Amino acid sequence: MSDKPKFVYVIYIASSPEKVFEALTNPDLTEKYWFGFRVAAAGPAGSTFTARSPGGEKFNKGVILESDPPRRLAYTWHPQYDHDKHERPSRVTFDIESFRGQVRLTIVHDDFDVGSKMFEGISRGWPAVLSSLKSFLESGQTSDPSWFYEAVKKAEEEAQADRVQA
Amino acid sequence: MNSTGSSFVYVTYIRTTPERLWQALTEPEFTRQFWADTVQDCDWKVGSSWKLMIPDGRVADAGEVLEIEPHRRLVLSWQNQFKPELKAEGFSRLVYSLEQQGEMVKLTVTHQIGRPGSQFIEKVSGGWPIILSSLKSLLETGESLEATRRWPEGI
Repeated sequence: MSDKPKFVYVIYIASSPEKVFEALTNPDLTEKYWFGFRVAAAGPAGSTFTARSPGGEKFNKGVILESDPPRRLAYTWHPQYDHDKHERPSRVTFDIESFRGQVRLTIVHDDFDVGSKMFEGISRGWPAVLSSLKSFLESGQTSDPSWFYEAVKKAEEEAQADRVQA
Repeated sequence: MNSTGSSFVYVTYIRTTPERLWQALTEPEFTRQFWADTVQDCDWKVGSSWKLMIPDGRVADAGEVLEIEPHRRLVLSWQNQFKPELKAEGFSRLVYSLEQQGEMVKLTVTHQIGRPGSQFIEKVSGGWPIILSSLKSLLETGESLEATRRWPEGI
């Protein structure tokens, strides 16, 4: 086992691979479940990936590494916030498979340096984003962005408390 | 995972209440729908025995209630009863933690065992995501995921 941080998460969604792929790449859809973020990732390999925060600022930019609709999507991840900017880009890979009438979505977020601070952040963020994606595709329910910020903040506080205890 | 044990952790956010989520995790009419037609035999008190039964009445897993705080936290000891090599690994520890966060409930499932490279933890790591995804579907849409409504044949 390598010491490099790697985040893996699997979620099953009552939907089709095409709809899941579109929901991950079309900013008009991500805005509805990704807590107001506009994520544009529909281009071919080599094109730009961007995510804009609800305020319109460019929160994240990267490069599409692989795009094989509706099965696989990979991009580099490089948040532009001051406290994150110094870390080199990491890598996000989505695999979308049909599984007995549902979709199995696997996300792997890796290629971090050992001790990455960003890794802690994304480990808290993805379960919230992907839970919200599932709700959006299955029930059309959209999520209030304030819930996301509250959830991430709370998880940060808990992680901080765990570190103090340890 | 660390050098002395193996663990699996899964976090999901469900649009429901802690009370309804608790009911879904413990009552047979819910578990049958999202947990492959299984039911739990337990009276939900500290020290009580706990069994997970498959539709033909066989016991798939067994243990006891270690901690219980309704609508917030449930801790079980848990040993596989089906496969000799998994049973031989002894008791694992399963923690459900429920927490209201705005309009959602955060459910954290932690399954751990005190041995490195556990086959049992590898096995449950493959199972929990679909069961918990189906639980979320059931509570949010009224329908569990189709693939989780029956016990798989031949097991």
